[in-house]
Amino acid sequence: MSNAIPAGEAAPMIQFVAVHKFFGSLAALTDINAEVKKGEVVVVCGPSGSGKSTLIRTVNRLEQIQSGSVLFQGRDVHAKLRSSALNHLRSRIGFVFQSFNLFPHLSALDNVMLSPMKVNGVKRSDAREAALRLLDRVGLSAKAQNYPAQLSGGQQQRVAIARALAMEPPAMLFDEPTSALDPEMVGEVLSVMRTLARDGMTMMCVTHEMNFARDVADRVWFMDAGKVLETAAPGDFFRSPQHPRAKRFLSDLHTR
Amino acid sequence: MAMLQSMFEIVRDNWLLLLVGQYPNGPLGGISATIILSVLGIALAFPLSVLMALAALSPWRALRWPVTAIVYVTRGVPLLLIILWVYFVLPVLIGQSVPAFTTMLVTLVGYEAAFLSEIVRAGIQALPKGQTDAARALGHSHLGAMRYVILPQALFNMIPSILSQFVSTVKETTLGYIINVPELTFAAGQINNRLLTKPFEVYFILAISYYVVCWSLTLVISVVERRIAARRTSSLTAAASALPATPASASGT
Repeated sequence: MSNAIPAGEAAPMIQFVAVHKFFGSLAALTDINAEVKKGEVVVVCGPSGSGKSTLIRTVNRLEQIQSGSVLFQGRDVHAKLRSSALNHLRSRIGFVFQSFNLFPHLSALDNVMLSPMKVNGVKRSDAREAALRLLDRVGLSAKAQNYPAQLSGGQQQRVAIARALAMEPPAMLFDEPTSALDPEMVGEVLSVMRTLARDGMTMMCVTHEMNFARDVADRVWFMDAGKVLETAAPGDFFRSPQHPRAKRFLSDLHTR
Repeated sequence: MAMLQSMFEIVRDNWLLLLVGQYPNGPLGGISATIILSVLGIALAFPLSVLMALAALSPWRALRWPVTAIVYVTRGVPLLLIILWVYFVLPVLIGQSVPAFTTMLVTLVGYEAAFLSEIVRAGIQALPKGQTDAARALGHSHLGAMRYVILPQALFNMIPSILSQFVSTVKETTLGYIINVPELTFAAGQINNRLLTKPFEVYFILAISYYVVCWSLTLVISVVERRIAARRTSSLTAAASALPATPASASGT
């Protein structure tokens, strides 16, 4: 069905259709229905434990779901898939973790080169060229030979973004990309993300950076207790949130 | 002093036996056999142990269960009993006699692989889950993630434990004595039986020989460890100490 939608501007990149997930008897996600369109930047916000990270991790099936479906470019990620098909799907979805998860035994350059070579079979020389270009794009060409332990948190996260971009994904997912960073390093990571958004990347970002949401997002999803309670344009959301829980969330932010 | 001299004499009179056993008139023995047994034992047990660890952690039950069973049984039974068991049962099972050296090697490889596989498994499980998540999110298969991301870290982290197990392997070759594998301990036993009056000297020579072999092994592994560390993390300290000297490059971001 969704395969039939032409790749126009409104084609959905990611669709959640009646997604339910439980951890034992705890409902982690309840009846999620939402979509991220191609070229859109969606910011998912909400209080801690509201299911934001769980939701974003279902997109590349790092988390399983109990019912419903998550479509990426029209393909159901949670369908019965051959493992090679799942791996291929995952390789098309850029994912940036809160804790960076760079590979500590590899230099920044090798971190970026590894997957294009071993997953996509790109030639070493080509992978190297592309990786250097990406490291330059995140402002770290001088650090290509450094190992993760030699980099600051902000630098590590920028390498992690370059590593995800190296697979040339049509969409990027960010799971609280700045939450593990010292305050002075948040800006450098957000600015890389802003540039990506400006260049037309489809992005789904779980973040507490409300200024980023206000400036960059096309849509804001507000989550609480495993439900998406409100989706709105950022201007509307911050000016006049509709759901009482969202009102309380925003006023808590302001009074902080 | 007199003891040192008599030890020296024992080595002088028996060096060939200690070095190669009855060779070339009989099977290769002495310290040569010990070293060959140790090297082969480690060289075969180590890759086997990695496969066993991967099987024990694999998503497929058909691989997980047999390996887990083997490890549990091996850990609960003394090596000496397994040697005797293989020595008496294996020829019956396959219907032909098996040389003592082969019996010892097979047993040693199986036994050590079981222990090593637990070390490797622990090393894999000690890594943060985020490493696997990141590898899978980039599209690596289960085995690809293991090969390129998990094992290079896990094996490096476990070098000290793996080394201990390698050293144990060398020392456990002595148990070949019980089934007449003509290794170093066996040669020393022969000498002792001939001399009768010098057990302390003979077995002191034996102890020193094993110590030298094990110590050399430790040395080799620590060189390997330092080399890998130099390629990965120890450039860290180099860079850290270089930072204050070159503030320009450090503030380049």
